[in-house]
Amino acid sequence: MSMDKVQIPWTDSDGKPGFWGALHSLPRRVYHSVFRSRPIPANDLERSQAVAANFFFHLHSAKVQERTLRFKTTLGLGLLSLYTFVILVVTGILLMFYYVPTPVEAYDRMLDLRGAVFFGTFLRNLHRWSAHAMVGLVFLHLMRVFLTGAHKAPREFNWMVGIVLFLLTLLLSFTGYLLPWDQLAFWAIVVGTSIASYAPVVGDELRYVLLGGDSVGAEALLRFYVLHVAVLPVVLTTLIGLHFWRIRKDGGLAKPREK
Amino acid sequence: MTTANLNPERATEAVEGRRTFISWITAGALVLSAGLMGIFNLIFLRPRVTYGPPSKFRVGKPDGYSSGAEVVFPAARVVVRRRGDEFAAISLVCTHLGCVVNPTDSGFDCPCHGSKYDSAGNVVAGPAPKRLSWYRIAQAPNGELEVDKRKEVDSGTYLEVKA
Repeated sequence: MSMDKVQIPWTDSDGKPGFWGALHSLPRRVYHSVFRSRPIPANDLERSQAVAANFFFHLHSAKVQERTLRFKTTLGLGLLSLYTFVILVVTGILLMFYYVPTPVEAYDRMLDLRGAVFFGTFLRNLHRWSAHAMVGLVFLHLMRVFLTGAHKAPREFNWMVGIVLFLLTLLLSFTGYLLPWDQLAFWAIVVGTSIASYAPVVGDELRYVLLGGDSVGAEALLRFYVLHVAVLPVVLTTLIGLHFWRIRKDGGLAKPREK
Repeated sequence: MTTANLNPERATEAVEGRRTFISWITAGALVLSAGLMGIFNLIFLRPRVTYGPPSKFRVGKPDGYSSGAEVVFPAARVVVRRRGDEFAAISLVCTHLGCVVNPTDSGFDCPCHGSKYDSAGNVVAGPAPKRLSWYRIAQAPNGELEVDKRKEVDSGTYLEVKA
């Protein structure tokens, strides 16, 4: 028997892969079309490639300072803020399935969320507590950055982006406050928008545009809803992307100057 | 590296000048259109029509009020007062931060931050920066009283209605 008669099972007579060969290699090709690196990296080079090749990790630097990874450096406050925001987006989208932003429906829908929707109380409370937590965490994150001097050059721009993110967080909190449409929400927005009208020059106009009229009513509820579920989250998400990207471009987390 | 280095034959000074010119025109057009869109969006957000309670509304015939009566219209946030043959309409919106004040024996009290007003709406205590508004009240052709919240009048301005 000569060697050329031996046929590898998954090749055809010409030695090409053929149907069975293609089928055999299909899982591997599908895997590699999705993942650019091996499942478990074997060395440092592959490890850094795995980080760079993964969409969810690509914001990370391939190399970081060891001390910036220690928990006590940052207390994890930035990422915790992000996690609360992710929770708020997910629970918020689920709440949108049942909430209707009209004066006739809003309050009843809020009560239904608590009484008639499967896991509704949990969802609403998760959304509410995460919102409170996010305001606190973002504030603490700002404090940490300031007290460790991480707002100084070359990170001044990212510090300002962070300030805007903090203001957007407060605005999201404020716009969400009106949506239950109960007495607390209503009068809080009456008072809050009146405070806005004390702003010099543009104050009264600002209140009028914010409320869509002179008083807190159906227009105000609709406007706050659109701001809360569409405008502000989109702006916030975009700026979060910019914020994280700048952390990398500014050389990772702040650290003491090399001696 | 300038374009002349990349392609010495084509990149004359005239071409460079033209490119710079086109870049500036394009950038200018983009900035202009973005600015205009910003302004248009602001105008768009300012409603031309509002759907809240109307600023001008009727509050019934004068005979419906006994002398000395003070009738509160909760939706309009106005109290209509009759003294003898005279009528006045006073705002119930606190001038501090917009809460609705409650009529009391001595005048009006705000539940939110403790502002107190006398019966003419002048500030007696609390953080309120100015007196309660007095609105123009007039008699419509059918004899009903009509309050116009767009038109403020001096404190103590009463409409005399002849019986």
